[in-house]
Amino acid sequence: MNIRVRGVMIAVAALWLAATPAKGQAPSAGFPAYTPPRTADGKPNLNGIWQALTTANWDIQAHGAQPGPHPELMGAWGAGPGGQSIVEGGEIPYRPEALAKKKQNLETRMAAKVTNDPHRYDSGEPELQCYRPGVPRANYMPFPFQIFQTPGEILIVYEYKGASRTIYMDPHREPPTDSWMGWSNGHWEGDTLVVDVTGFNDHTWFDRAGNFHSDALHVVERYTPISPYHIKYEATIEDPNVFTRPWKISFPLYRRVEENVQLVEFNCVPFVEELMYGPVGLYKPPSR
Amino acid sequence: MRNRVLTPLLMAAPCRACIRSAHAFAVTLVMLVALWAPFLGAQAPSPSKSIDRVAVDPEASIKAAADRAKAEAALRNWTPPRTAWGDPDLHGYYLTATYTPLQRPAALAGKPFYTEQEALEVFKKAVETDASVNPSTVHYDWKEYAMDGWQSPVRPNLRTSLIVDPEDGRIPAFTPEAQKRQADARAAAQARNPQVGVQTLGNLYTRCVTGNNAGPMLRGGNPGSDNGAAGVTAEAQIIQTPGYAVVMAQSNDDARIIPLDGRPHLQSTVRNYLGDSRGHWEGNTLVVETTNFIVPGTNFNGASAALKLTERFTLVGPNTLRYVYTFDDPSTWTKPWTAETIFPRIEPPLYEFACHEQNYGLMNVVKGAQTTEAEQAANKASPR
Repeated sequence: MNIRVRGVMIAVAALWLAATPAKGQAPSAGFPAYTPPRTADGKPNLNGIWQALTTANWDIQAHGAQPGPHPELMGAWGAGPGGQSIVEGGEIPYRPEALAKKKQNLETRMAAKVTNDPHRYDSGEPELQCYRPGVPRANYMPFPFQIFQTPGEILIVYEYKGASRTIYMDPHREPPTDSWMGWSNGHWEGDTLVVDVTGFNDHTWFDRAGNFHSDALHVVERYTPISPYHIKYEATIEDPNVFTRPWKISFPLYRRVEENVQLVEFNCVPFVEELMYGPVGLYKPPSR
Repeated sequence: MRNRVLTPLLMAAPCRACIRSAHAFAVTLVMLVALWAPFLGAQAPSPSKSIDRVAVDPEASIKAAADRAKAEAALRNWTPPRTAWGDPDLHGYYLTATYTPLQRPAALAGKPFYTEQEALEVFKKAVETDASVNPSTVHYDWKEYAMDGWQSPVRPNLRTSLIVDPEDGRIPAFTPEAQKRQADARAAAQARNPQVGVQTLGNLYTRCVTGNNAGPMLRGGNPGSDNGAAGVTAEAQIIQTPGYAVVMAQSNDDARIIPLDGRPHLQSTVRNYLGDSRGHWEGNTLVVETTNFIVPGTNFNGASAALKLTERFTLVGPNTLRYVYTFDDPSTWTKPWTAETIFPRIEPPLYEFACHEQNYGLMNVVKGAQTTEAEQAANKASPR
């Protein structure tokens, strides 16, 4: 995507956001007003290990429990839990042709195609192949992640795949090229960390249900601490190639409070080599 | 061997290419400046800053840089700045590349250090070898992207090996147990034929499981090579928050989270490719102990599951991080061994290293090996 198009998109998004009623420091429903503790440089302290407790990784929209794609092998292990939508209003405003693509994605989600050309990304759920999850999906994968907050940069390390992203606070930096996790620049609005994420490729999905985007994706995230143990997470998603208007998701992040809790490596590359390389005759471990 | 995230890193090329444009001058400058670092604990800023891209008087610049290095070296009692919460402040980006081999070559037995003149000559030779590419055999021409080691701020080293203990600069002898283990592994590798596949032919690096800096942050030259090139994608970042340090490697985006609160290691039943790290401060030095490596899998230099890796990070000058690591594994080596180098500070940032996502190289290499094996089998069956 070229810089000019991106610049226009950012401007459009800024206008759209400006038209959204400001929420200021209003507490989330059911939570009393809260002033978070500060880091040494006086900013709200988001350091810690956090995790979403939604079922959005199966489907960001409302969904009932479902059997897995291979119940004859996986039984209840492969089944998906039901859950409520994290999408504000429930519906994703797809363009008609994009909605058809979403449905096709669902049908071909188990395809793992290893080829020597970019068609390898045409079908198949990226998580199935241990690809980086993109943003915002990384934040609602069923794995914890850890925030490391410094004045100039905020690093987020995700347990899933060890994926990571740096949020540039000062100075902001331009995305050098499109990438899986996008390029994040952040600033503070009161006690809310606002992150502008651009520079995405078009290979990641929002969930296992085939919800997707193009490389015009622009995400604006808002992280607002609402208690010592909760962050209210909101993200506005904009992609004129795929959606008719920007739309929003929100869910809480929960602090992991177990004694000595830490991320435990989930390096899934070895877990997917048979799936990916077996069909093309390239997976023959010595023990078989 | 494979498509190592060329797309994102291509974008890094313009700023590094400007180093290339001043290449001959730059290498000389880096050499002169860097030479002081191992002994004097100081250096000039990284070349991307210190090189004036329109400089018309290299000689004057070199002299200025050398003078600056000496001036820094005069700061004998230099101590690192502190974080807001009082720890030594190691924040920043560093280069882990080196042309120095892990083990001292036999021809240099008994000679732990070069003279300055020798170090310059050896460095120049290594740079020229690295820079010469045979276009008919090269897999990636790194210099095409200004990504190879010799266009980075890699520095020469007065040491003739990274290993400083034992004194002979060589890895100690394997124990009988380790010798048997490795003989068994070799026999198993022979037995696999023709069962070639990604797990048997690939290694952790080519399979995109871990990057160059997994385990110890350098092992001398490129992965698997004792005397190789300086290494590409050898950048790393250190981030600190109260109670934590993170070592973030450019290679494979490997992020090592290091708790500093004295908590115990994970139980030994939990094994990680990056191990399980715990850190503490000894004066101005961050000491990191890492255990729980996955074996078989990591096996750094033949190490077993009992490996304890101890790393020591010390900022010895404004732009120089001293890095010392020790391998302690009584079931593999008859005694522990220690390597030492310095990492120059470099400019930010790091870029996404989506390796597994676009690992074209591995499949092509395995396919090629399968074809070769099939041809060999056919020739054996019907000799001419």
